[in-house]
Amino acid sequence: MNLPWAATSIRVRLIGWYALVLTVMMVVYAAATFVAVRHEFLEQLDERLHDEFEAAEGRLTRTADGRMTWSAEERHHGEGEATIYEVWSASGEQIHRSGAAAPLPPAALAATSSSYRYETVVANGERWRSLAAPVAIGGHNVVLRVSRSEERVRQELSEVLIVLVLGLPLVVALAGVGGYLLAGRALAPIDHLATEATRITAERLHERLKVPNQHDEIGRLTAVINGTIGRLESSFDQLRRFTADSSHELRTPLAVVRNIGEAAVAERRSADEYQEAIGSMLEEVDRMSTLVDTLLRLSHGDAGTIRLRREPADLGELARDVVASLSVLAEERQQTIVCEITSGVVISVDRLVIREAVTNVLDNAIKYSPHGATITIGVERHGDLASVTTSDEGPGIPDEHRERIFHRFFRLDEARSRDAGGTGLGLAIAKWAVETHRGRISVHARPGGGSEFRIELPVESS
Amino acid sequence: MHPVRILVVEDERTLAQVLESALRADGYDVVRAPTGEDGFFRATAEAFDLVLLDLMLPGRNGLEILQALRQRQVDTPVLILTARDGIDDRVHGLDVGADDYLVKPFALPELLARIRALLRRGRPAEIGQLKAADLELDMMARRVTRGGRHVDLTTREFELLAYLLRHQGHVVSREMLAHDVWKEPRRATPIDNVIDVQVARLRRKVDAEGRLRLIHTVRGVGFVLREGEP
Repeated sequence: MNLPWAATSIRVRLIGWYALVLTVMMVVYAAATFVAVRHEFLEQLDERLHDEFEAAEGRLTRTADGRMTWSAEERHHGEGEATIYEVWSASGEQIHRSGAAAPLPPAALAATSSSYRYETVVANGERWRSLAAPVAIGGHNVVLRVSRSEERVRQELSEVLIVLVLGLPLVVALAGVGGYLLAGRALAPIDHLATEATRITAERLHERLKVPNQHDEIGRLTAVINGTIGRLESSFDQLRRFTADSSHELRTPLAVVRNIGEAAVAERRSADEYQEAIGSMLEEVDRMSTLVDTLLRLSHGDAGTIRLRREPADLGELARDVVASLSVLAEERQQTIVCEITSGVVISVDRLVIREAVTNVLDNAIKYSPHGATITIGVERHGDLASVTTSDEGPGIPDEHRERIFHRFFRLDEARSRDAGGTGLGLAIAKWAVETHRGRISVHARPGGGSEFRIELPVESS
Repeated sequence: MHPVRILVVEDERTLAQVLESALRADGYDVVRAPTGEDGFFRATAEAFDLVLLDLMLPGRNGLEILQALRQRQVDTPVLILTARDGIDDRVHGLDVGADDYLVKPFALPELLARIRALLRRGRPAEIGQLKAADLELDMMARRVTRGGRHVDLTTREFELLAYLLRHQGHVVSREMLAHDVWKEPRRATPIDNVIDVQVARLRRKVDAEGRLRLIHTVRGVGFVLREGEP
């Protein structure tokens, strides 16, 4: 259930994470600081106790009656009440005590022990730090204990703690605000980009986003968006051109039908003349029907609603079949069709679709080769590719039209191909047929003149 | 023999009129029904030899009517006319009990040929000899003579001539030839050109010098084999 979280802006989420990480780091830092400071303070206290212990040891003397006393004028030693000095006999009796404050619990130190012993004792709710050790005063073994209150140190430590605890949220808050502002600055170009991109609609696809700095992330993102817009633009252009061309191609026969009809009814004519006029009109209608059928099929193809019925087909047989059906056209022009067919090139295709592609390409070769020419159709297999090639002796295709020749309604020679009854869609259909099989169709110039159309289809293992 | 009666269920008036006049010209008796309800009522009440049924009708659509007819055991042959060129539609139409279908816009010769085929159904196909004037074609021997003299034809030319002879006196469209003679699933420009060339060649061989012309081109429509002018 992180929907509300996901719904917030990147900026807020960024700051959220930032603050969280910062808080964790600050807590760790504060805790480490406090521990170090506390250790240092207690260490200092212990060092001081040690110093005072040594000083007291030097100043303590034993009187003749067995009491302990401080050597003369140094009795109070400036420290006053803050330090308590106690001397204990080996048997555990307190022999001497100086300094203010309440009595401390007896030192539990055995006189025989020779080591310094630090400990914290509590008396009347106050914590005292004490250092005790056996010493020999005037030949007597006693235990000297020096104690100081920990309260001051604790006071200081709690002040440090307050500073740390209060400072932490303040620092996080300040960092958060700073981060928010910085993130805002960093993300501003993205907001800007979004606004700019919204501006670019289907009607304004020629526009591009400005690239502020092509090397940073925003620059790369902008370049990517520009690339997408560019591809969209060319698809839109193609679509627009296609729509315009289609309308134009349909208008031409419509105009012819209309004009023939108008001319026919303008005055009384003979039955033969009417028959002639109606025949012409029907021819145009027929042409239009073919065109509309083809356009519908192409749009089905574009929409991806044509399901291929793939089955294994022998490409060589398919090519021979096409040659057989078109050979009369070549014979009319005294052309020879030579088959260079490798047998056994079997691939899984929709036979009818591929046959149509080969038919259109071969028809093209026949149409554009001169009388008496030789047209070669070849079927080969190279590794994972099966190819059907047709070589003609036509006028060839200028370099700049190599790609466009497969575009819808593109005609190299407007008048000629229209007379031949072409719709201008034959190669476009072939291209669609081949590409829907994930193949490729291309045209190359032949060294001796003429063109070679090459259909390449992937041989799939299935 | 009573004249063949055909019910035309078509809401579009112009098309219905054209169909009626074309069918009457071919000697059929025609009854028109402008709506689905009317069509259904007439088809169940009267006897028809064939029903031409438009799929897209106001009120009840053609498929529903067809279904209802078949449920009532009315087994008059039904030819569906549809503007929708979807394979699913066709299959569905045939599943529901249509006998044939045509996609609009269709050529009249094709419609007439389909109607003839549906009406002929059940009768044995005429095989053997096909004749027109002094042209004779022997299906079994695959032999053609004109005025007693042998005419040498290729396989395709023979099939084309046989088809024209079978539809003697009726115009056949390029669509029909592409589909029935060339077995092409789809008519396309290259095939149109092939058909034109083949017909021209056939004509050269069959209607040789000095003979009565039998094979005629009907401009904008197709071809017809008939004695005398078209």
